[in-house]
Amino acid sequence: MPLTETVAAPGIPAPAAPTPAAKPSREDDPRNPAKRLERLFDAGSCALLTPADDSGFLAATGLIDGTPAVAYASDATIQAGAMGATGCQVILTAYERALADGSPIIALFHSSGARLQEGVASLHAVGQVFAAMTRASGKIPQISVVLGPAAGGAAYGPALTDIVILGPAGRIFVTGPDVVRSVTGEDVDALRLGGPEPHGRRSGVVHVVADTDEAAYSSARKLAALLGNQGTLDAAAVQDRDLAHLLPASPKRAYDVHPLVNAVFDKSGVELHPKWAPNVVTALGRFGGRTVGVIANNPLRLGGCLDSASAEKAARFVRMCDAFGVPLIVLVDVPGYLPGVGQEWDGVVRRGAKLLHAFAECVVPRVTLVTRKTYGGAYIAMNSRALGATKVFAWPSAEVAVMGAVAAVRIIHRRKLAEVSDDIRPQMEQELAAEHEKVSGGVQRAIEIGVVDAVVEPGASRSAIAAAIAAAPGGLGGDALVRGQHGNIPL
Amino acid sequence: MAEEVRAEMVANVWKIVAAEGDEVEDGDTLVILESMKMEIPVLAEVSGKVSRLAVAEGDVVQEGDLIAVIG
Repeated sequence: MPLTETVAAPGIPAPAAPTPAAKPSREDDPRNPAKRLERLFDAGSCALLTPADDSGFLAATGLIDGTPAVAYASDATIQAGAMGATGCQVILTAYERALADGSPIIALFHSSGARLQEGVASLHAVGQVFAAMTRASGKIPQISVVLGPAAGGAAYGPALTDIVILGPAGRIFVTGPDVVRSVTGEDVDALRLGGPEPHGRRSGVVHVVADTDEAAYSSARKLAALLGNQGTLDAAAVQDRDLAHLLPASPKRAYDVHPLVNAVFDKSGVELHPKWAPNVVTALGRFGGRTVGVIANNPLRLGGCLDSASAEKAARFVRMCDAFGVPLIVLVDVPGYLPGVGQEWDGVVRRGAKLLHAFAECVVPRVTLVTRKTYGGAYIAMNSRALGATKVFAWPSAEVAVMGAVAAVRIIHRRKLAEVSDDIRPQMEQELAAEHEKVSGGVQRAIEIGVVDAVVEPGASRSAIAAAIAAAPGGLGGDALVRGQHGNIPL
Repeated sequence: MAEEVRAEMVANVWKIVAAEGDEVEDGDTLVILESMKMEIPVLAEVSGKVSRLAVAEGDVVQEGDLIAVIG
């Protein structure tokens, strides 16, 4: 039902709808798919792959920062970009070409969904597109840019791709505001239903929210270049930087991890899902010239705890990077999983298991750096030795333990502590904690049992990570990629 | 439009940094919570005047509780 209900894109104000009097020619219409494809590619490189006709879609090849790519765009000037059998064939042609070339494929979506007039034939065609996207998943990078409404079947197209970018006029929903109103009585507009706020913050559908169309194209180009041309790691060129000053002096104080993430990259990377599950940061960027993914706990949000949404977000990112042969750098400062009934009912066990699964099956080089602490179940989940980390490094003052030392002795020595008076209890806790750390916590013990490979100084961390990635199979990049043999299901 | 700042998680209110009537910038610390043995600053995500501060030091906030209103 949803696929056909939204054909007329009800309730969606057409962006810059041309008035009948001043209707621009199709050539001048900003929604003209050929124009949009030209904006995406390097100047002068766009070559049409399919004829400009009434099918509702147009495909082209071209270059992005010199890297070959394939793209297709819906034609919103015809039936609001609705997807019919011939239009879907254009998409299939684009996929065949991208798979043959091994190049990234970029979709420019502005579509009301399946063509109502074609009935079930259009549904069948849209379903064939979904199947093609799934067959290509994990083989070639797939990026969607949603420039207008993407409703019904056109919503699931972007959703099946690796990365979804939302332009300012982009609205993604299964059923439009009119259908929602008539079926449920709920009064909601397209912005609130499927705009940047719901999809950027709440649903996790959109990876990148762009303020302008230009920024949306720019994000797509950056990400296509990062995934389509990973470059080679020049470990000798990875300069060490003073990373310690990016963390607060007090180990108890929370901080924003973004400056650390960006200091690990050569220069600032592209963050995916910045507003959704912000307690974990996932970003792509260059490291020694080679594309890498960084995953980092962000103590500023939820204290950096893992929770159901952040585990799922990180798991999908790990699997995407694994599928394309992109090494991972995992920056760990995690107090544990977020406790509470809300989390348990939200499926933190099921969704947290996705991250364990993702890391445990991951074959790309993946280096963990524990900056301050890593406790409990979250210790295991954040690319631990047991899950197959290539290397695990820790800063000298890092804690690796089941829980913080004071919390641990409060449980282990509960009776002993209960017997003493309130004024001497804190001191006793500290003494017991220090003793406890000697036998169970602290980095030294973690090194003895082999779960941490080495203590590295903050100022020597970049070069240590570079050497570890360079020494691992597939680490250098180029033609010798090591890739997980799986698709990238949108977890 | 007034921006409501709400608690992301169960926490103790450890320190109040901003006062009602203060002009704050995006990124300024409003209060510092204590949870998971950590001091977690709650930051303003918009610039404007703190029109309401709904918590006091020592309070316990639950997830979703109002902390402050800006604007």
